[in-house]
Amino acid sequence: MNRITRSHACRTVATAAVLLLGVALLPAIASAAGIGGRALGAESVTAGTWGATASTTSMAFATNSDQTSTVTNSGTLALSAESYVVTVSRPIIGVPRVTVFECATPWVGNRCSGGAGTQIGGTLAADSTTTITSTTPLAVGGALYLQVEMTGVIFFTTTVTIAPEVTSPAQVRTAVSSNQ
Amino acid sequence: MSKHSHTPKKERAYGKIAVAGLLTTSVGLLAAAGVYAGLSATATGAESVTSGSLNLTLSNDVGVGFSNFTGKMAPGDTDNVYVNLNNTGTLASASGMTLAVAGTPSNALTNGSIVGEGLTVTATQCSVAWTLATGTCSGATTPILATTQVSALTTPVALSNIPALVAATGQVAHVQVSLGLAATETSANGVSPASTIQGLSTTLNYTFTEQQRTGVATNQ
Repeated sequence: MNRITRSHACRTVATAAVLLLGVALLPAIASAAGIGGRALGAESVTAGTWGATASTTSMAFATNSDQTSTVTNSGTLALSAESYVVTVSRPIIGVPRVTVFECATPWVGNRCSGGAGTQIGGTLAADSTTTITSTTPLAVGGALYLQVEMTGVIFFTTTVTIAPEVTSPAQVRTAVSSNQ
Repeated sequence: MSKHSHTPKKERAYGKIAVAGLLTTSVGLLAAAGVYAGLSATATGAESVTSGSLNLTLSNDVGVGFSNFTGKMAPGDTDNVYVNLNNTGTLASASGMTLAVAGTPSNALTNGSIVGEGLTVTATQCSVAWTLATGTCSGATTPILATTQVSALTTPVALSNIPALVAATGQVAHVQVSLGLAATETSANGVSPASTIQGLSTTLNYTFTEQQRTGVATNQ
C-alpha cells in the first residue's frame, strides 16, 4: 500500500515538474521566434481534357472498297492536330494497300463534297502499324470524317484498325496567356 | 499487537512538539520583519513602451487579383494575376519572405504524383503597378520565384531577391503571379491515360510570410 502511495506521489510530482518546465519555456520560445506577417490568397483552376473518339475503329475488307469512320473531339479543349495509329493485318495471300482520307463533311457516295478529300499520310501496306497525322483543327464537339480505302490485290479478308491519338501539348490548341 | 497500541501515543507527542516549534518560529519571524520594515526605503521610476506590429496584407494590384481561372486550362497556358503585398504594420520586416502553396483538394495537379506534370507558379516583382492589358511592367522587373511545381511549394520556399520587398513600413510590392500547367499525355480514342491531370480541379491557397526585423538593443 505504501509502495502504491509513493508511486502516485512520484508521478504527481513528475507531472507537475514537466508542466512547470513547459510553462516556463513557452514564453522564451515565443520571444525567440518573433512575430511574423502573413498574407493569403486563393485561386481555383480546372484542367481541360483532350481526346478524339472514332465511331468505328476496326474495319474488315473482303474486297477493294471504302469504309468510313467519324472522329469526334470528345475533350474540353480544341485540337490543333490528331494522329491515327493504323494497323493493317497480313492476309494469307494478296497485296492489300490502304489509304486514309479525311473530309470536313460526311462522305456521300465515296465523295467529299464532290471531291476526293484530303489524304492523311501515305499508302500503307499489309502487316504494318503506322501513325499518320492530320493537322486539321478540331473544335470541341466537332467532327472529322475519315474514309479508309482498300486497294491492291485481295483474296482474303484484311482487317484495318484505326485508333485516334491526341498528345499534349503539341496537338492541343495553342497555349494562351491571360491577364486578369 | 503491543506495537500498534504504542504508536498513536508517540505520534501525538511528536505532533505537539512540532506545533510548539512552528509557533515559536512564527513569532520570531514576525518580530524580525518588524525590525526590517522600519529600515526600508523606496526609489521609483517610470518607463513607457509601445510594442510594434507586423502586418502583411494582400490586395489587388491591377485586375481581379487571385480569383478563378475561368474555362479549362490547357498545357502551356498561363494565367497571370497581379497582387500587392503591403507591409502595413509599424515594424519593418526582416529581409526575406516565403511562399507556400497548398491545393485543395490535393490531386495530380498539385501533389507531384505524375513526374513533370501539374501546375506551376512563377512570381515576378515590378517596381510600379503592372499594366493589365499587356501583362507588362513599365518599370523594372525582379524575378522572385522561378517557375516551380506547386508540389514543391507545399512547404514554404524562400523567395529570391527579396531585400527590398516590403521590408520597410508602408512599402508595397507589385507582384505578378503566373500559374501554368505542364502536361505531356496522350489520349487514345478519347480515353485519358490511367494517371492523368486531365479534368482535375483544385483551389490553390497562397501564403506569403514575412518575419519581423531583427531585435535591437538600445542604450539611452
